[in-house]
Amino acid sequence: MSEAAEVIEAEARRDVRNRWLLSMPALLIILLAAAGPLLIVVVYSFLTPGPYGDVQWQPTLSGWVNVFLERDIFDETLSLADAHVSIFMRSVWLSLVTTVLTLLVGFPTAYFIATRPDNSRELWLFLITIPFWTNLLIRTFAILQIIRNEGLINTIMIKLGLFASPVQMLFTDGAILTGMVYVYLPLMVLPLYASMEKLDFRLLEAGYDLYATPFQVLRRIIVPLVKPGIIAGSILVFIPALGAYVTPSILGGGKNLMLGNLIELQFGQGRNWPLGAALSITLMLIVMVALLFYVRNAKGAGGRHG
Amino acid sequence: MADLNAVEIRNVSKIFGFGEFAFAAVNDTSVAIRQNEFFTLLGPSGCGKTTLLRLIAGFEFPTSGEILLNGENIAAMPPFKRPVNTVFQSYALFPHMTVAENIGFGLQMLGRPKAEIQARVAEMLKLVRMEELRGRRTSQISGGQQQRVALARALAPQPKVLLLDEPLSALDYKLRKDMQIELKRLQAETGITFIFVTHDQEEALTMSDRVAVMSAGRILQVGSPREIYDAPTDRFVADFIGETNFLKGRVVSTENGIAEVDTGVAGHIAAALPTGFSPDGEVTVVLRPEHAMLCPPDAMGECQMTGTLENVVYFGTDTHYHVVLSDGVTPFTLREQNKPMQAARFAQGDRVGISVEANAARVLRN
Repeated sequence: MSEAAEVIEAEARRDVRNRWLLSMPALLIILLAAAGPLLIVVVYSFLTPGPYGDVQWQPTLSGWVNVFLERDIFDETLSLADAHVSIFMRSVWLSLVTTVLTLLVGFPTAYFIATRPDNSRELWLFLITIPFWTNLLIRTFAILQIIRNEGLINTIMIKLGLFASPVQMLFTDGAILTGMVYVYLPLMVLPLYASMEKLDFRLLEAGYDLYATPFQVLRRIIVPLVKPGIIAGSILVFIPALGAYVTPSILGGGKNLMLGNLIELQFGQGRNWPLGAALSITLMLIVMVALLFYVRNAKGAGGRHG
Repeated sequence: MADLNAVEIRNVSKIFGFGEFAFAAVNDTSVAIRQNEFFTLLGPSGCGKTTLLRLIAGFEFPTSGEILLNGENIAAMPPFKRPVNTVFQSYALFPHMTVAENIGFGLQMLGRPKAEIQARVAEMLKLVRMEELRGRRTSQISGGQQQRVALARALAPQPKVLLLDEPLSALDYKLRKDMQIELKRLQAETGITFIFVTHDQEEALTMSDRVAVMSAGRILQVGSPREIYDAPTDRFVADFIGETNFLKGRVVSTENGIAEVDTGVAGHIAAALPTGFSPDGEVTVVLRPEHAMLCPPDAMGECQMTGTLENVVYFGTDTHYHVVLSDGVTPFTLREQNKPMQAARFAQGDRVGISVEANAARVLRN
């Protein structure tokens, strides 16, 4: 090996070492703040629950068994834990409906903003992000004030004589959905807008010119071209909706549980930390499966639009 | 149907904006475009030619007036119902579809059977010589190829009229020349009426059956390229197309459509009058630079006019001489074809005489 080549190789080695050194702080934070707690959750899920919460260091699978199964209190036989299964199904279902509703509301909203003149778009985007400035809890309580029996809607409707007595809207799935759609809508609008902003609107004219009706233009041209935005928005809404805690606990009122509430219950009143940990990991796995599904879809469609 | 015009524009105006910001992009314009014609709308940018095209396509609706397609008023019809297709300046090919899918899109939207669409797409690919690229994405082909796909896509549904919005402006010079010939061939082969928008006078003159020259929302003159070039009736048309010399003068006498005009500094010139126009008093006479020539130095006395040579510009095929006539203010340009191995005959500052070909001068309407 020539001297020059040696020098170059030493330089390259030093370069690699420097890069590792420089990224050390970031790696440490990721390890401590993300991987560390996750590891604790995984370990706890295999331990025995302590009598007043916490865990005892006796390895067992009972936490995991209890995710979907329950032991009969009399004869100790295992059967499907209907309550847990239904909460899982409800959570997935409500999150899916939330995603679809935010898409239905967010799509025209994003389209509206993307078709405004350049100088007014900033203002519309700014208006979309205003709710982010207020604490989630306060926003949720605001909805509660609007839809409760003595709230805004019922009071107005009764004054107008349209309702004879207050209509129960709070503590229903409808209330949870309203709250979640409201909370997660910006997460749908922003990626959709980012996609639509890049859309060449002359393509729509080309579509109309080639005998496509407005609906066909939407289906055949707009939707395929903004698909990356639809996928990104759906992921951003579906994942946090699946783990939503504040909205269902306030607007669903304890009886309409979602996964987040079930997990909280195990760490709180339930005093079953291993089960809570196992439920958390199960939730994470569902999210990962959903993500994988989306990524696969996105590869087929998203890459084309330049 | 042969006696009907393909497209007839009747007193169409298109006004954008309101109140003091109102702007008439097309201003009370009427024109008839014949069947199977290669018709060009020519004008500088902002003259309303693209707006007029968009009104025919249906992307804009006229503020007033009628647009007839084969005798039927389509002014209020949405674009997806008009049997008219457009080749866009930016091509506007669908990036999420292949070349073949792009070409078949219109037929698909019309609900034609699959077999028919396939046959037609194959036919179109052959027509624009793109058979090998049918499966490519539109982002994977060159600008000239995209141009062909845009043409094939617009021709596939067999429109009554094809609208072309400056389709060649994004191509380089050589490709543009090829596509001009290609477009003429396609128009001849398909027999479809082409309405072509351009700001390029050379493109308009070489390709069109008839040309309409537009300015400020109005059509100033419609005619064959030869008529537009040789017999402009309007000052703007004369100025916009080719180079022109303008000479002011007084009509002395009129006979058989020819007026004798006293232009003062350039002497008496016999100039043809536009049909049905018999002015007296002040008129403007136009004279193309190639219809005038420099006199030999020994024959100055017999020349039409004299002046001082301000500038000589060598162009390869010809030489342009910029002269100021003997009154010291009137500019006059003339152009002479270069002969092989000819030395420069005149230099800047020389006094020169200019003679004019017979039947070359014309009187303008305004």
